[in-house]
Amino acid sequence: MQTIAAILTGNAQTQNMSYYLKEITRIKHICYSNKGQLDTVIGTRHFIKNNFDKELNLKFLSHSRFTSKFHLLRLFKRYYGQTPKQYITDLRIEQAKKLLKKGKAVTETCFHIGFDSPSSFSTLFKSRVGVTPTEFQKRATFTKPG
Amino acid sequence: MKVKIISIPVHDQEKALQFYTEKLDFVKKVDIPLSEDSRWLTMVSKEEQDGPEILLEPSPNHFEPAKIYQKALFDAGIPYTQFNSDNVQQEYERLVSHGVEFSVKPTEMGTVKIAVFNDTCGNNIQIVEML
Repeated sequence: MQTIAAILTGNAQTQNMSYYLKEITRIKHICYSNKGQLDTVIGTRHFIKNNFDKELNLKFLSHSRFTSKFHLLRLFKRYYGQTPKQYITDLRIEQAKKLLKKGKAVTETCFHIGFDSPSSFSTLFKSRVGVTPTEFQKRATFTKPG
Repeated sequence: MKVKIISIPVHDQEKALQFYTEKLDFVKKVDIPLSEDSRWLTMVSKEEQDGPEILLEPSPNHFEPAKIYQKALFDAGIPYTQFNSDNVQQEYERLVSHGVEFSVKPTEMGTVKIAVFNDTCGNNIQIVEML
């Protein structure tokens, strides 16, 4: 049970908070009060981030977090706003851009980031970045400072 | 369509240029004089120089409703712009050592960690790290 002093101190703290702080405190309580779920999705994201260049699937990810794959998919989407697959693709494309800028060949880049097929890699890259990996590399080389 | 420029209203472009380059470590990208007291002035992140540009625009000085809106957001502590960081705690410590004032210290908000600082040009800016 809270003491009167604690309640008064709490009220005084709340009164001194900006509108923004009050709002994020309120939202945190509503959206992020389940620590078990947070630990699961944060752990999953870290695992993906450190292993995105390897073969990853939901079954494996869910087993490593002791949960079902559908539950993990729902949780990940709820907390990060995208599916694990979308997140993996984002990481791979970002890494591909870095490697292409460094001059790595397109095929080599494709296998390095965990894709099996250079043609599907090129198609996906173009749909995300707007140009093919070859074109991206040409432009990056052309605009390189110095 | 592509996202290339995001505007940040500032009271004083020169002061903003100094803050964003010297404290935040951004890099000036485009600087074109437009009139006696305004320029087309954009910055990019040093880590991502081909990424989106931020336009430091002097709208609060030229358009009263912009000034009122900016002040209302500032007084409520609301950050209208946010930048991503790989490590909010480290960034917070670096900026504090440069004299930057924070209204929200590094705080975990579920799957992100946030902090909010005063850009000294009329805005609260939030930095975010994905956890």
